[in-house]
Amino acid sequence: MNVYLKNILRFCIIVLLQVLILDKITLRWWSNPSGFPVFIPYVYPLFLLLLPFEMPVWALLLSGFALGISVDAFTNTAGMHACATVLIAYWRTNVLSALLPRKLTEYAGQQPSTKNMGWMPFLVYSTFLIVIHHLLFFTIELWNLSNIGHLLLKTVASTFTTMLLIIVYLLLFTRQDSSRA
Amino acid sequence: MRNFIFFIRRFFNLLLFLALEVVCIVMIQRTETMQGNDIVSSANAVSGLVYKKQNDVVYYFGLRKMNDSLQNENARLRQLVEQYKSLDTLSDSMVFSKTQIGDTAKHIVRFSEYVYRNARVINNSTNATDNYITINRGTAHGIYKNMAVLSGTGVVGRVEHVSRNFASILSVLSAKQRVSARLKNGAYGLVIWEGNSHKVLTMIDVPQQVNVKKGDSVFTSNYSLYFPPDVLIGTVIKTEQVKKNAMQHIYIRSSTDFYNLQYVYVVENKMSEEKKQLEDSSAKKQ
Repeated sequence: MNVYLKNILRFCIIVLLQVLILDKITLRWWSNPSGFPVFIPYVYPLFLLLLPFEMPVWALLLSGFALGISVDAFTNTAGMHACATVLIAYWRTNVLSALLPRKLTEYAGQQPSTKNMGWMPFLVYSTFLIVIHHLLFFTIELWNLSNIGHLLLKTVASTFTTMLLIIVYLLLFTRQDSSRA
Repeated sequence: MRNFIFFIRRFFNLLLFLALEVVCIVMIQRTETMQGNDIVSSANAVSGLVYKKQNDVVYYFGLRKMNDSLQNENARLRQLVEQYKSLDTLSDSMVFSKTQIGDTAKHIVRFSEYVYRNARVINNSTNATDNYITINRGTAHGIYKNMAVLSGTGVVGRVEHVSRNFASILSVLSAKQRVSARLKNGAYGLVIWEGNSHKVLTMIDVPQQVNVKKGDSVFTSNYSLYFPPDVLIGTVIKTEQVKKNAMQHIYIRSSTDFYNLQYVYVVENKMSEEKKQLEDSSAKKQ
């Protein structure tokens, strides 16, 4: 499939998955009026993580902004998601080139996946960016550093759940080399 | 000039990044100052339509619960009607807010201060810091900003963004919203949401000497600019003394089930403009 078409399709599916399903699920690990904060796993940065290697930074920034704004339009948080996604779009190239053994230009026509990066580097790459995204987003959303424990708890819980969902996505949608006869 | 172009080409990515972040911060700033941003909100045509399509599908799953709540509301309203029936309206002036509008020659008298319009909830959130509800009514149906929104059982919120066919409501479950409230025995306070459970609200600024019991009802007060008075907010769960300022925190179980909201009433206060104008003009003089 054409790489543009594929990514546009993935954009739509991930945004709809985020706003129609994940935003509706109330996740809390034990229920108690003043106990654990309610949180949402924000999986949509996965779209940015899976864009092709050789994509220039300006294109990453623009698609990150578009992604953030579309999620914002659904959740009435004008600018908050966009702010966080633009930051990780800016850092993505640096993180990737730090983690990969070869130059990014040598991976022409490929996109980051567990196959060409290996499980461990891919998880480090995605966890790092997701943690930054969630930390920035929850900081802007709460905008209150007096309650920093609440903020960190929310970030950790949301990151953990997001990473679980990303691993499930990778297991489901990574094409296997050896097709079974 | 050449150097300038060279500079831009060299730092193009950084400049683009900074420009986009500034756009985001301006947008966040605009929503924080309550001016609202109608384009990037769930009241816009695209997200409103997506939420409407989704609601058409999941609507049927909540019908049983909705029937029960309508039944409860009917029972409550019937009871109210019975109370008014036994009232002698000739000797008692129960008809309030009698105002004359229009030409004095015609003497049009309108008795009701509030107009209720019903609306269906097409999107709902309870787990963000500021929760919004989208409804399938907009300016085409006479909905405007700052109208109060009630459910059959209690308060819901206030209209914040409107488009032609949709409106998004800032729910009481928000750090941005405070509702002026009144206890059964007449003590006033403010109801806020501390951001934990969608069932628990907090009432602050109640003096410690006010005696509050578990199970007492909390209503909206008549000080509120948007909400009609005497609408149930919830019932008291527990109280907590705050040593610092001789006030008490009262935890309230909200009477509206925000998680299963299906239909709401949008309330237009015909007097709010006039009241606000008067209050503003007297504030200016000071």
